[in-house]
Amino acid sequence: MFGKAGDHIIELKNLAIGHQKEQTLLKDINLSVRPGEMVALIGRNGTGKSTLLKSMIGLIPLIDGACYLEGALFDSYDLRNRARKVSFVSSHFSQLPSISVRELVSLGRMPFTGFMGRLSAEDQKFIGRALKELRLGSFAERKLEHLSDGERQRTMIARALAQDTPLMVLDEPTAFLDIPNKNELIQLLGGFRDSGKSVVYSTHDLDTAMHYADKIWVIHQGRILEGAPEDLGITGLFDILFENSGIRYDLASKRFKYSTVSKGSVRLQGAEGVQYWWTRNALERLGYEVDISGTMEIKLDSCEGVNRWTLYQSNQSREFSNLYNLARFLNNDE
Amino acid sequence: MKLRSGSLSIMALLLLMLVVLALIDIRLGSITITYKEMINHLAGSSLLSDHQLIILNKFRLPRLVTALMVGAALPVCGLQMQTLFRNPLAGPYVLGISSGASFGAALVVLGVGATGIVATWSLAIAAWIGAGSVMLLLLLVSFRIKDVMTILILGIMFSSGLGAIISIMQYFSQAAALKSFVIWSMGSLGNVTGNQMQIMVWAIVPLLILTFAYSKILNGLMLGEEYAFTLGIRIRRTRIIIFAVTSILAGTVTAFCGPIGFIGIAVPHMARYLFNRSDHRILLPATMLTGMVVMVFSDIVSQLPGTERILPINAVTSLIGIPVVIWLVIINRKAHSL
Repeated sequence: MFGKAGDHIIELKNLAIGHQKEQTLLKDINLSVRPGEMVALIGRNGTGKSTLLKSMIGLIPLIDGACYLEGALFDSYDLRNRARKVSFVSSHFSQLPSISVRELVSLGRMPFTGFMGRLSAEDQKFIGRALKELRLGSFAERKLEHLSDGERQRTMIARALAQDTPLMVLDEPTAFLDIPNKNELIQLLGGFRDSGKSVVYSTHDLDTAMHYADKIWVIHQGRILEGAPEDLGITGLFDILFENSGIRYDLASKRFKYSTVSKGSVRLQGAEGVQYWWTRNALERLGYEVDISGTMEIKLDSCEGVNRWTLYQSNQSREFSNLYNLARFLNNDE
Repeated sequence: MKLRSGSLSIMALLLLMLVVLALIDIRLGSITITYKEMINHLAGSSLLSDHQLIILNKFRLPRLVTALMVGAALPVCGLQMQTLFRNPLAGPYVLGISSGASFGAALVVLGVGATGIVATWSLAIAAWIGAGSVMLLLLLVSFRIKDVMTILILGIMFSSGLGAIISIMQYFSQAAALKSFVIWSMGSLGNVTGNQMQIMVWAIVPLLILTFAYSKILNGLMLGEEYAFTLGIRIRRTRIIIFAVTSILAGTVTAFCGPIGFIGIAVPHMARYLFNRSDHRILLPATMLTGMVVMVFSDIVSQLPGTERILPINAVTSLIGIPVVIWLVIINRKAHSL
């Protein structure tokens, strides 16, 4: 119905993985990735995300089962041909001796170059394109040690892109990045789909995964669940996943929220736009629901960039010049 | 990754320095061979006396060639170890090669008590066997152990263990034997005879060429073994080749010249600084050339021009190299990351 079985770029059948035979981390794994799909692998620390990714690409020997790359057994490819099919970006960052961005990205062409590694015009084309796509053009001659974490990670990904493989596997590519860099990076990875590449990456960041991934693999209690982000939402998996952690997925805002015990409800008046949302955010963080039938009322006046919050509560009123003071008052007043 | 004109001109400069230093090195000694005589000799119209010819062919040239071999071989081993272990402090001796050689030498000098001319050959052979045994052990270990850092730790432990046994042997040995062992361990370029020099050249030059042939693989290893694997490099096979090549190179040098410290670690850093590149296709020849210059220069210094005395080469290489590395690390932060 959705194409032949052979159109998977990678297919894991009855896989059992772990570092030692006696200590199987996960078993009965049956997963697959289609060309042009981005898959986010999610799971708590120590559940075996890295092990799964590394087992998939032959870095860790399989305990049981088999892995198929474009329909053929993974082991039937020699190393060079594997390297032309699958590229990898590790979660560890390695210190490298005075290597320039271009030199590092060029290493991605190793599976295609000859004995002495001479780069052909075509190799140069791939390197140039990878540098451009990851916006490293102006950094090309810079040494790696002079780059920021974000730029360095982009360099490592550019190297994998220069390898021009149909499948890219990345182990926590956003681990050391700040939020803007994180989003930017996942967007870039998502962009690789346009050229038919498949991307599998592990992450702790469900937010971006929900927004950009075609499919999510979740490791939970020794099992791996597979589905579109929304499929997993329907099954209530996210609630189970974050049980006891104080986090829940808020359907309305499509974000993860910290759940707190409700302390009451507030009518929010006179506010709109940015002021409204941040005030609401502060109130919810403190455990108050924003509701028209609230028992308290907060009125927000905004005049020439100066904000003033007035709290009406049991016939008394108080004014606050910022949300910090309002929050302090509400916290002490309970 | 093409050879830039910058790299080429530095290489040309180093080559020029090497030629000048080599000529100075040959000239030095109690019997003078002037530059004019040398040039005439090279041009085929030799005016050298028989006496001078013997000095030149039996002593000065073997000494110079030995310095060149040591200067090329040890830093190339150091560079490969630094790349494989991704550790700036790794050198040709981290895996216990020199301890193995020293142990062999200690057995001959301290155990059997061989001295004099017999000793030169038996010492070299014993040292070579010692280094070779360590290498074999290392290869056995690396077949079984997956993690390269574990191998590094084992190498260091093994090396320390042999060192302990050698000190026990020294403790119980006679004063004369002890002295000749200590002198051996200070290193010397001058004990290598013409025949031995030929053996050195035949053992070292082909391996240096082989190293250059796998420079692409060394480039891949810079990223670490996981990345190298995903780039299509056979990790274990590569590791074994590197261990075997560096063991034979460092073992041969140590067998004939004693342990020569420091340049194996320091010269790769100097080459990285001079050429500012990390591509092994450039770094390997750069390291060889820099190493040869440093070694010939050290040999000149060790002969204390104008005196009859000769300093132990091991001390000279350290005294020359240490300030350079301190300068690289502290004043020039470029070399800091490796």
